[in-house]
Amino acid sequence: MIRWVWWFLIAPQAHLLAGLWRDLGLPGFDMGVVWCLFLAFFAQRTATPWLLLGAALSRALVDESSLPVQALVLGIPVAVLLPLRTFFFGQRWLWLTLAAAGCAVALPRLSAWFGAWFAQPSASAQTDVATVLWTAALAAPLLALLRRLPPCRGFEDAT
Amino acid sequence: MAKHSTAFPVGLYGALLLALCALTIPAPFAPVERALLGGAALVGRFVAGLVGTPVAANTTPAAAAAQRVAALHARLDRHGAAGAPAGLVARFDPAPCTVVVVGGRGGGGGEPCELRLDRTYAELADCLPIVTQGDRYLGHVPQPGGPGAQDDALGDFARVLLANHPLARSVHADVEVDAAARLRVVVGPASAADPAPLRVDLWDDPYQAARLDRAFLPVRTRDVPGSASAAPGGFRVGTTRIWGYPRTERSEALTLGVYVTPDALPQALSHVVVWRQRGAEASGPERRRAPTTRPGIAHALPGAAHGRCLLVADENLADGAAVLQDGRLLGVAKGLAGGAALLTGFGASRQPWNLILLPDDPAAAPVELHGAVVHSTGERVWVRCRARATTQATIGPGQLFTGSNGPACPPGLWIGAAAADPGDFDQIVVESPAPAGACAVHWCEAEGLP
Repeated sequence: MIRWVWWFLIAPQAHLLAGLWRDLGLPGFDMGVVWCLFLAFFAQRTATPWLLLGAALSRALVDESSLPVQALVLGIPVAVLLPLRTFFFGQRWLWLTLAAAGCAVALPRLSAWFGAWFAQPSASAQTDVATVLWTAALAAPLLALLRRLPPCRGFEDAT
Repeated sequence: MAKHSTAFPVGLYGALLLALCALTIPAPFAPVERALLGGAALVGRFVAGLVGTPVAANTTPAAAAAQRVAALHARLDRHGAAGAPAGLVARFDPAPCTVVVVGGRGGGGGEPCELRLDRTYAELADCLPIVTQGDRYLGHVPQPGGPGAQDDALGDFARVLLANHPLARSVHADVEVDAAARLRVVVGPASAADPAPLRVDLWDDPYQAARLDRAFLPVRTRDVPGSASAAPGGFRVGTTRIWGYPRTERSEALTLGVYVTPDALPQALSHVVVWRQRGAEASGPERRRAPTTRPGIAHALPGAAHGRCLLVADENLADGAAVLQDGRLLGVAKGLAGGAALLTGFGASRQPWNLILLPDDPAAAPVELHGAVVHSTGERVWVRCRARATTQATIGPGQLFTGSNGPACPPGLWIGAAAADPGDFDQIVVESPAPAGACAVHWCEAEGLP
């Protein structure tokens, strides 16, 4: 129970913390990609829907689209990547970097598609090359760090 | 094998299905979303509370903004009925109305086909049923309880069936083929799949109609004594579009259908005119007043280069409520539970906007636009606009205001100075500062509107 309290207290602030990171002059990255990779490759499968809700809340605080759109934008890459966990389990740095680059391109595209379908356009639909590159570079080390910290540590799949 | 058996994430797929349901039927899920986001914003509110309260807004910029809004309303009144037929002006007075909602599905050309005005059917009881704007005929007000307004009562805000509404009345019109020749036609609503909102149903000279080889011919309503035509003569309906085969070296042009594109884009309409019997007293309250606003404090969220703020207020905000700082539009808010809201600055928003451009040229008419922000840097915002060809050329330097963007974002809120983008005439560049730090703001209530 405590881990869920921590999750819903801290996880929704993740995108704001990433914004603070950028405000400090550090290279910007897409926090949604980090959540996608954590949910797809490291989180307990049974907890995934509720973890996705926390991640979607995080993105909804900084993005114009509604919460269901955020759940779809983050959830679809997770649903695609999660079956691959069988083959890419654990902290595989190169694989995580490639997957992060793919997700950093896919998330804005999904935002644009769902924004157009459901009349909820948002600024996050624009792909920024610098953000894609920095996300690819930073996602794997950030995941390595997050997996050792609460609340993510409490939801790591032990199998 | 254990991993294979759990590879199918049923819970995750269920969550995605639920999200799709929430997008398809948003009403039951909206309170849940407000509560969840309100809860997630509690940490931000706590931190914002530590920052303190900003000083009250300066009154000088607010007064300057009010002057601009007054200038807009004066110009709208002056041009609202300009160009209307003299016979109508001699017997009726124009009564400006504000559009509250643009909607309606299944309109000709696939475009919106209904408006809701800020006046009730009862208030318009002594008015002609036609709705116009300048010299343009737009549509008619149906009888409450009648076709097109079956569920409406006399006290409801009046609905306007635009000329492309499936139940709109056809009008007699003239196609101005050239300076001397006129093709008499009956213009009615096209179907949703047609290439234009209106279609010519009948013509008095099929031979001449079949040989029309030029598009963009003006179409004006025509008086026919004893006719049930909806509109008096002299109003502009739009311009023609020809559907058929063009002239070739071996054959003449062959017209299969003639369509009419109205000059006004339905999504851009924010102010229209109804015609009241001369001497009749206007009933009902004066609608064109400053919107009712409530105070709040906006705190820029980290990474607010995207123009996102947490708005803290004493009451719950409606979704889409306009937020003003010193009389200037800052953005629109999404209401959360517990008197909080997430504010998206104008430059950060990507939603479609109904806008009004007030040209600096005092003789020029206000231009109604429909557009969306495509890009913003600092205080400059690029808005890609959509307007009919006849108004596209009139975009010049001026002041930009909101048009009708829902009950909580009324028309006439000042956004900033605007000018055509020299690199792309479909775009305008607007001076609109992004919210920064903590600032005192006011947000608009959706009071007394449908």
